[in-house]
Amino acid sequence: MSLPEIALALLAAVAIVTAASALLVRELVHTILWIGIFFVDLAAIYFLLEAPFLGVLQLGVYAGAVTVLLLFGIMVTRKRIFSREAATGIGVAPLALAALTVVVLATALDELPSGNVPIQAYPPTALSTDLFGAHGPWLLLLGLVMLVSVSGAIWLVREGRE
Amino acid sequence: MTALPLGGFLALSSALLGVGLFGILTRRNFVLLLIAIEIAMNAAILNFVYFAAFAPVPALGLTGQEIAVVLIGFAATEVAVGLAIVLALHRLRGSINVAQATDLNG
Amino acid sequence: MSFAGTVGPLVPEVIVLAAALLVFLLDVAGARRRELVGAISIAALAGALLVVLADLGFLPLAALRGLPPSVLNAVPAAGSAPLYTFGSLGLVFQGLFLLAALLVATASLSRASDERGAPIYYGLLLLATLGMLLVALASDLIFLLLAIEVTSLATYVLVGYTRRDARALEAAMKFYIVGALSSTLSFFGASLLFGAYGTTNLYALRAVAGSVGYPVLALLGYGILLAGLAFKTTLVPFHAWAVDVYDGAPHEVSAFLAGGTKKIGVFALFLVFLGPVLYVKAGGGSPFSGAPFDLGPTVQLTLAVLAVVTMTVGNVLALLQAEMKRMLAYSSISQAGYMLIGIAIGTSPALAGATLQVAAHVLMKSGAFLVVAAAAAIGVGPKIVDWQGLGTRRPWLAVAFALMLLSLAGVPLTVGFVSKFVLFSAAVQARGFFVWLAVAGLLNSALSVFYYARVLKVIFFEPAPGPLPARAGDVVGAAGPTPLGAGGIGYGRAVAIGVAAVLIVAIGLYPQPILGPIQSAAAHFVAGGA
Repeated sequence: MSLPEIALALLAAVAIVTAASALLVRELVHTILWIGIFFVDLAAIYFLLEAPFLGVLQLGVYAGAVTVLLLFGIMVTRKRIFSREAATGIGVAPLALAALTVVVLATALDELPSGNVPIQAYPPTALSTDLFGAHGPWLLLLGLVMLVSVSGAIWLVREGRE
Repeated sequence: MTALPLGGFLALSSALLGVGLFGILTRRNFVLLLIAIEIAMNAAILNFVYFAAFAPVPALGLTGQEIAVVLIGFAATEVAVGLAIVLALHRLRGSINVAQATDLNG
Repeated sequence: MSFAGTVGPLVPEVIVLAAALLVFLLDVAGARRRELVGAISIAALAGALLVVLADLGFLPLAALRGLPPSVLNAVPAAGSAPLYTFGSLGLVFQGLFLLAALLVATASLSRASDERGAPIYYGLLLLATLGMLLVALASDLIFLLLAIEVTSLATYVLVGYTRRDARALEAAMKFYIVGALSSTLSFFGASLLFGAYGTTNLYALRAVAGSVGYPVLALLGYGILLAGLAFKTTLVPFHAWAVDVYDGAPHEVSAFLAGGTKKIGVFALFLVFLGPVLYVKAGGGSPFSGAPFDLGPTVQLTLAVLAVVTMTVGNVLALLQAEMKRMLAYSSISQAGYMLIGIAIGTSPALAGATLQVAAHVLMKSGAFLVVAAAAAIGVGPKIVDWQGLGTRRPWLAVAFALMLLSLAGVPLTVGFVSKFVLFSAAVQARGFFVWLAVAGLLNSALSVFYYARVLKVIFFEPAPGPLPARAGDVVGAAGPTPLGAGGIGYGRAVAIGVAAVLIVAIGLYPQPILGPIQSAAAHFVAGGA
């Protein structure tokens, strides 16, 4: 195995283990720790895929902002509606459904090229030219999504005097 | 130029989707549900990034990376709304009655 | 493209966005009266509706036309991949979305006057409508899904906007979890389609469906995307959330969800799944003639099965409900099944029938939920038996509600009959396997008559058990200081319910002015003008 392949195998293993641990550990603060590692690990995969801009974005938005948001949510609502998970058991039916999803998706592996495929790298400048040009409407829609979210979230959490 | 197996990434993202679905079906804690959804969302974003990296035509690949940028922004926004809903509910329960369990069980 | 060239065709969207921003600005400036922000919203929605009708070519309005005729139904040049285009079927849906929003905005004027949050309510209602308008323009999968999310995020907050109502906030939380799961699945499916075909453009996807790329990956992508969109459209088995959310949300918001936002899922299914379905048509086979796991037949068969299951399960569960809102929610689920028949068949008459069914559903279902809101305002309880004697107490309200239920059941002389007639005759025309879809639909309509008739019997033939409270406030907003107009119902609600009831009968008696444009729009849609 070449060096990038070993790195990919390691990063993939870490991603699956941290994702599963985040959902299975008993203490919610540990969950945040695991999910933080998971986000950083995915950023490393993006660097491996020669998408440095996305790697940095993943670090900033997911590993940074989203993790802190989730931690904040846990701190504020602690010992109220979500203390720790009441039951950490693993149901058979959900596990079977999740496993089935993976097996069904794996059927697509047959038709993909089996050997290694070279990775295409893109300069971030090309990314921005296109994103602010032909695909500008996506960003406009993202802006609308943010407008809706910010106004709605402010209304929900602002102290009302009714 | 590095070369990697395309199938390995599909296997990874499928496994992550499976973990996320499992979490959504079994967890009852709102923050854990959010995390499970984010794991599945990351699987979708990863799909776009590696399909972009392996694209036969560069122009198409670039599109995949752009979608990933937009989706990362979108997912973070979505988490913020979810937390706002839960904070409002928490404040209500905290000030009225904590033991008041779910009224809507269907 | 110049600024005017870009914005020119987008006049309805710009009007709605500007009104939403104005409402938020007024909120900051301290002008928070419900009448003020409500009037602004209603004016903006009505203006946008007029422009859309003008663009569709309704004659007296031709002067308002904002869309150059060359843009309407233009097929994009080969190689170009526009993110949005202007098709007449999209404009028809825009008109329906605006109609639903207009009914809800008008009725919401009658919410308790001491209730806070009118600006955020109307602002989010406008932004949700904007998202719906953009869905109707989409010609790119990512654009489509993001536009759906604009609407979804706005509706999560709308469901819980009363803030002091634990039931509503719980409904919002449930809605959020299901909605976030649905959008994640949709994006995952879209990513697989992107991997299989290297594009997210809906024209390109339609052109290449099943023919190139990685077919298994594409089939999986379509499957996961279908699951994601099925949540939005409340198709069985992805429907369970809808009943709780409709039940827990404020009545006007339930009307908007059932009569309005649910239809973006229907239009998204039209956009995404016409490609695979038409691919079967080109191959000239029935769903059973293709190879196993062949894209087209599998998709078509899945849609047909989903349609039948959704109709049947929705109707059977509606029969068992004791509460009015939950009964209406299940009947709304079963109606989604009828709309799905249209896309499963994929011919132009079938799509026209499904679109007319959407139009009928906008009137019937938002109308019915608004009647529930009006009934709650005069002190009628949530259970069906609480409605005893409404026929003598409030004859006009009872008659309007009866019209909506008869239309839902598909009784002649109502719009519900016309839409089912067009849809089922299209199914029979398509022959073979699809005739069974028509049979299943007819049997389901017969089944649904039972529970609608039961409600009518309670309202008109069972006397009220005792004296009713003079008037009580809305369930959510508590009693306002002054009694509402129009016999305690509120003028806004009375107007919205009246308009819906009149349109139900008017279109039922004389459908041609509506049916004609829908049929030609559906023909354009199938021909590729999107």
